[in-house]
Amino acid sequence: MKWNPQDIDMFLQSKEYVDTAVLPLLPVAISKDTKQAASMTEFISLLSMQLERQFRGRLLLLPGYSYIKTESIDKLLGDLKVWERELLENGFKHVLFLTSDSNWKAVENQLEGELIWMPSLPLVHMDEKNRNSLLEDQVKQLMNLFLQKWQSAD
Amino acid sequence: MSKNQVSRRQFLSYTLTGVGGFMAAGMLMPMVRFAVDPVLQAKAESDFIPTPQKVSEITEVPTRVDFKFEQQDAWYTSEVTGTAWVYLDDKGEIVALSPVCKHLGCVVDWNTDKANPDKFYCPCHGGLYTKDGTNVPGTPPVAPLDVYPYKEKDGFLYLGKAKPKKEA
Ligand code: FES
Repeated sequence: MKWNPQDIDMFLQSKEYVDTAVLPLLPVAISKDTKQAASMTEFISLLSMQLERQFRGRLLLLPGYSYIKTESIDKLLGDLKVWERELLENGFKHVLFLTSDSNWKAVENQLEGELIWMPSLPLVHMDEKNRNSLLEDQVKQLMNLFLQKWQSAD
Repeated sequence: MSKNQVSRRQFLSYTLTGVGGFMAAGMLMPMVRFAVDPVLQAKAESDFIPTPQKVSEITEVPTRVDFKFEQQDAWYTSEVTGTAWVYLDDKGEIVALSPVCKHLGCVVDWNTDKANPDKFYCPCHGGLYTKDGTNVPGTPPVAPLDVYPYKEKDGFLYLGKAKPKKEA
């Protein structure tokens, strides 16, 4: 389900079935690595949209958490923990953060939720067909990860 | 002042009629559209979308067919991918089922649950459907999978808009 009023109506009515929250982490950087940050943001947004299409009955896709990439990781970690607490305290069993930004890996073990890091692919240089099949592969990998997580929990 | 010149009064009345006309049209057009819309919609619904699936290659095993089409979402058109599970039934007729689970909308897969072979399986909450799309009682879904109307054109499969399966 997505973060819009129609889907949220459905969510409120069937909360017991929606046990997974997905938060895309979307970096923004103006002073340097601007394009890289934009690619990461695009890639993760596309992936999470596809993921939502496949699993919309069980997961809630939150609007992404966008942040300034040059901000200190401790400050960012603090913010992320606020999200995490809100979600875990309100009934979500699985909280997953989706990112291409490797800075997060350094603090991964301080999170209660699970960090999924996917290297961002240079989508801009590809024609549509390659781009789609590549994305599809990545989505499949991600789906398997989710299925495993659910299976081990159920 | 020459006779041909437009007087201030005339100018005003022309412009006001013009503007008024636009406003009236602006108000009437949507009304006309509302009145005519059912007709337009009926036309849109009969639109069949081409798929890359050759009709001659459809077998008894449900196969996933992806197709692309433009979707209008309020004021924004985007290209979306639709999916259907396509196979031949006992009578040799084509069946095209929507993969959208009737519980909460996850995408179902064919034959992926080892405990339940030859069924459509929903990974989200274990929903099951038999090959003809009927929901298996005791699993969350309460209705059968939607069915796509189909057409054959130049050897390829065309799909319409998926509809709820009629009660048999
Ligand atoms: S969405 Fe398919 S069983 Fe719940």
